[in-house]
Amino acid sequence: MKKILIVTVIVTIAGFITASDSFLQPKLQLHKTESQKQNSESDNPHNLSPELKKALNCKSCHACEYPTPGNPCLLDCPRGSMISVYHSPKEGPEIVLINEMSENYGGVVFSHRLHAEMSEMTTGCEGCHHYNTTGPILSCKGCHENKRMRENVAIPDLKAAYHRQCLTCHKQWSYENGCNTQCHLQKGSDIDVRREQAINKIKGRSHPLLPEPTKMIWETNYEEGKIVTFFHDEHFQVFKIKCNSCHKNDNCIKCHEKKENVDFTKPVKIKKTFDDHHMPCVNCHDGNSCKKCHREGEMSPFNHGKSTGWALSGFHSRLGCADCHGNSMPYKRLDRNCTSCHKNFVKGTFNHSRTGLILSEAHLEAECENCHINKDFSKAPQCASCHDDKSFPKDLPGKRNR
Amino acid sequence: MNPEPVKHKFLTPGVFILIVLALNGLVFLAIRFIWGLGAVTNLDNYTPWGLWIGVDVGAGVALAAGGFTSAALGHIIHREHYHAIVRPALLTAMLGYTFVAFAVMVDIGRFYYIWHPLIMWNGNSALFEVGICVMIYLTVLYIEFLPIVCERFMGRVNLPGFLKAFNKPVDKLLTVLNSALGKTMFIFIIAGVVLSTLHQSSLGTLMVIAGQKMHPLWQTPVLPLLFLLSAIAVGFPMIIFESLIAARSFKMKPEMHILSKLGGMVAPILGVYFAFKIGDLFISEDFKYLMKFDTNAFMYFGECVLTLTAFFMFLSRRVLNSPLLLFIASTLVIAGVLLNRINNFIVAYNPFFDPNTYFPSFGEISVTVGCIAMLVLAYRFIVLNFPVISQEKS
Amino acid sequence: MKNLDRRSFLKVAAAGVSASTLGASQVKGAEIKLDENRIGVLVDTAVCVGCRLCEWACRTAHHLPTDALETYADDSVFKEFRRPDKTALTVVNEFENEKNPLLPIHVKTQCMHCEKPACVSACIVGALTKNQDGSVVWDGDKCIGCRYCMVACQFQIPTYDYDVSIDPQIRKCDFCEDRRKEGLLPACVNICPNEALIFGKRCDVLKIAKERIKRKPEVYVNHIYGENEIGGTSWMYIASKDFDKLKMATLGSSPAPGISEAIQHGIFAYFVPPVTLYTLLGTFMWVLKRRKEKSPEEIGDTKKEVIEEKKDEKGEEL
Repeated sequence: MKKILIVTVIVTIAGFITASDSFLQPKLQLHKTESQKQNSESDNPHNLSPELKKALNCKSCHACEYPTPGNPCLLDCPRGSMISVYHSPKEGPEIVLINEMSENYGGVVFSHRLHAEMSEMTTGCEGCHHYNTTGPILSCKGCHENKRMRENVAIPDLKAAYHRQCLTCHKQWSYENGCNTQCHLQKGSDIDVRREQAINKIKGRSHPLLPEPTKMIWETNYEEGKIVTFFHDEHFQVFKIKCNSCHKNDNCIKCHEKKENVDFTKPVKIKKTFDDHHMPCVNCHDGNSCKKCHREGEMSPFNHGKSTGWALSGFHSRLGCADCHGNSMPYKRLDRNCTSCHKNFVKGTFNHSRTGLILSEAHLEAECENCHINKDFSKAPQCASCHDDKSFPKDLPGKRNR
Repeated sequence: MNPEPVKHKFLTPGVFILIVLALNGLVFLAIRFIWGLGAVTNLDNYTPWGLWIGVDVGAGVALAAGGFTSAALGHIIHREHYHAIVRPALLTAMLGYTFVAFAVMVDIGRFYYIWHPLIMWNGNSALFEVGICVMIYLTVLYIEFLPIVCERFMGRVNLPGFLKAFNKPVDKLLTVLNSALGKTMFIFIIAGVVLSTLHQSSLGTLMVIAGQKMHPLWQTPVLPLLFLLSAIAVGFPMIIFESLIAARSFKMKPEMHILSKLGGMVAPILGVYFAFKIGDLFISEDFKYLMKFDTNAFMYFGECVLTLTAFFMFLSRRVLNSPLLLFIASTLVIAGVLLNRINNFIVAYNPFFDPNTYFPSFGEISVTVGCIAMLVLAYRFIVLNFPVISQEKS
Repeated sequence: MKNLDRRSFLKVAAAGVSASTLGASQVKGAEIKLDENRIGVLVDTAVCVGCRLCEWACRTAHHLPTDALETYADDSVFKEFRRPDKTALTVVNEFENEKNPLLPIHVKTQCMHCEKPACVSACIVGALTKNQDGSVVWDGDKCIGCRYCMVACQFQIPTYDYDVSIDPQIRKCDFCEDRRKEGLLPACVNICPNEALIFGKRCDVLKIAKERIKRKPEVYVNHIYGENEIGGTSWMYIASKDFDKLKMATLGSSPAPGISEAIQHGIFAYFVPPVTLYTLLGTFMWVLKRRKEKSPEEIGDTKKEVIEEKKDEKGEEL
């Protein structure tokens, strides 16, 4: 018990000491010029969009209880939990020369744009530019020291940082065994010529866009409901999901040449666990009901009217899902009361002619509920509350304009 | 009934075979010293110790235990009755340990540094203790043997050529040495027993450090005790064994009145050893490995069968009084202990991920057999020339 | 009579004990006091790509014959399981990666530089020493080539040069002692393109290992090989597969030389047990001789008793 008390006291004191460090911060900033000040505004990793703030917590970046500017105790690499601001591949440089440390091998001519395009289909920019919050792209050297013997070995040095980005994919190809064959220039007197050649070879090239499948049908081992149908185009086009939110662990070798000892006429069999198979779907869809995906036969494409009883037409059909249902999964259910979204759809301000029916003078006076029972606008309107002998749509409370 | 040089010719057909075996061993020894261990042995980085350590050193030291058990019996407990066997046992021990020292020299890679343990000490090392004890004990054994040499040459010093002038001083020296040794011999005898106790047990400690590389059937912290007990147990059977062989070889009457009594003491010691061995097996619950019926289990059973059979034989009066049965029983004990040492040093040693199982090469076996042959030849030579064996006057 | 014997025996024993304790302390091996900042290396096998440059760098740094750097790209050597030998102090082996067959797991093998090294405990002449900085090194001027270190090592690291008769070497990783004296990193650590080998204080790299496992539980098995294995080692491994499937021996946490040293020191314990045994035997010898001189007939009855007593003492010494 005593021990706990002492520890608590120590932690509290330590907290005070580290917190007092933060008072030094404004002083430090005084040395910065005006322009730098502006820069530092955007550099501040805490300037996050509300969306980002939701996805992150302090522990996503900081290892300790009381991070300070002097000792932010940043984590090794929070790549997975960081979301970078989006840049299109064209905004980045086409070619990057990596030449800092050629010891045993010559430098590397890196086709940045080609790789950026490829990353669009897999990990996104943050696959390489991890740790980048909003704002400008940070250079590798900013964090990764160009020195193997150093104080903080938790963060890889520059050499390792570069290699780790490249080798995970490149090690899987048959011709990638030698360092000189694909990346490094061989050292020698004609290295400049060969560097030029390498640059010219890449210049202006871009990665072809991948053909997208419309739907995929799997036959599974699951007994009740063998067939799982996946509408790829829907997820991309209708649901507006980014490629890399599903394809982030995909490998270049799905399309590119593979190691010799692997028979690439057959798909690469990667041992997946139950979770590996299901997580991409369960991330958004309710994972408790198998029958939702596992059916006896092929599923038909998503139809808003069939699934929800609210067929989308007109302006509604042009909206993205999130526009009405919000960003969080599972989607927010909406009722059929227009006013739950359209707050201004009340008597007096609502122009009924939008619905294709111009109300007659007399009906303009009526309350919405008089015809639309319980304000359920998906059902046919009723005349019975006022008229005994009229019925919709035989009799209309005005005239159609469409 | 005093010990005298045996009167018998040296060369017999058996001796001729021994010479051939010794020469064969010497050829492989030469190869080992010229081209290294790899040229002769099947040792590799997985199995650094093989036949030479297991049999030549491990079993060699155990089988030379007759020296200290008989010294304890004859001198410390003062059973004059057994004095007749003390000298042959001493000779066996002396030659046995010389053989062990030589085997160590052959096996260690940098044989020219064999003296290093004398000045470079590591008290944590079981091998250091074995090494230093064996070195001292070997010296003690030579000192214990000196009186026999003195006895042989006292009053008979006859140096050749111009050295003749030294005949008298040398004789005098031998006499003085003999009497001095006679007075102080008890120091060396007790030292010999203590040193033996220490290194016989430390020999068991050797393999404890191999940890999980040792098969659990043999790996136990009481290995030193088991080694000591088995060494004590094999001491008398070894004396009986060689005494009976010597008697047969030199066409003498076996000294059954001594050997029977000696044999009578074997069963209790063997029983204690076996009880500890089995007790440990059950305490550590390693008996489950016996149920696997693999090589290890088979070898363990082998040890047990040999030891148990010998134990029951030694319990029987009939066996103790019959030279043949006594010989068989003693052989069983020796085989049991030999197998135990082979098991401990070779069979039980199972290096992880070893692609091949070690089996000694022809060269290794040749060297071991050759060394044993040389040992027997040396024994024969000494027995024929020095007063070692006591014969009853007919 | 009996009382008198006991008393004299006790006197002799006491004298023997006090005399022996004085000179014997040096025999006990000196405890190695390890530096708090002792060095260590973390091998992150999930980062290693099996380029084998460490093998080249190691050979070069230790003046062992090696092929050209380019030849190390040949990965056909992975077809067979290799161990360090007289030509290589470190080797890299390849293991199947079920999660992605195209990215096999590579494991570098070299001396683990145990915290409580069995080889150091075993070495008959103290040719192997544990330095304060954590490294375990071999001294060729002392070594007699007995190969007991190879028997003792639980990682089967020391190798022997079986093909020469004169000056055969025990070879094992020396943590690049010479390079570090010049302020350089170990050769393998220095060359590793991916920094799969992280060199630092042992406590720091251990922290890094824990952090990595914590951050990527889906990648790493929750086990730091070498953190506790046989009392801990200077080199530690993290991996995406169970270590026994990477041909790394499953070892307990008790130090390899523990039991053996306990027995050793139990037997010796400042020479007390040997000297006691010596004194006891001497007393018996003297007593029995005197008794025999007095009455030779009596001895027959006491013989058995004496043998049994003798055995008991030996049992106790152990």
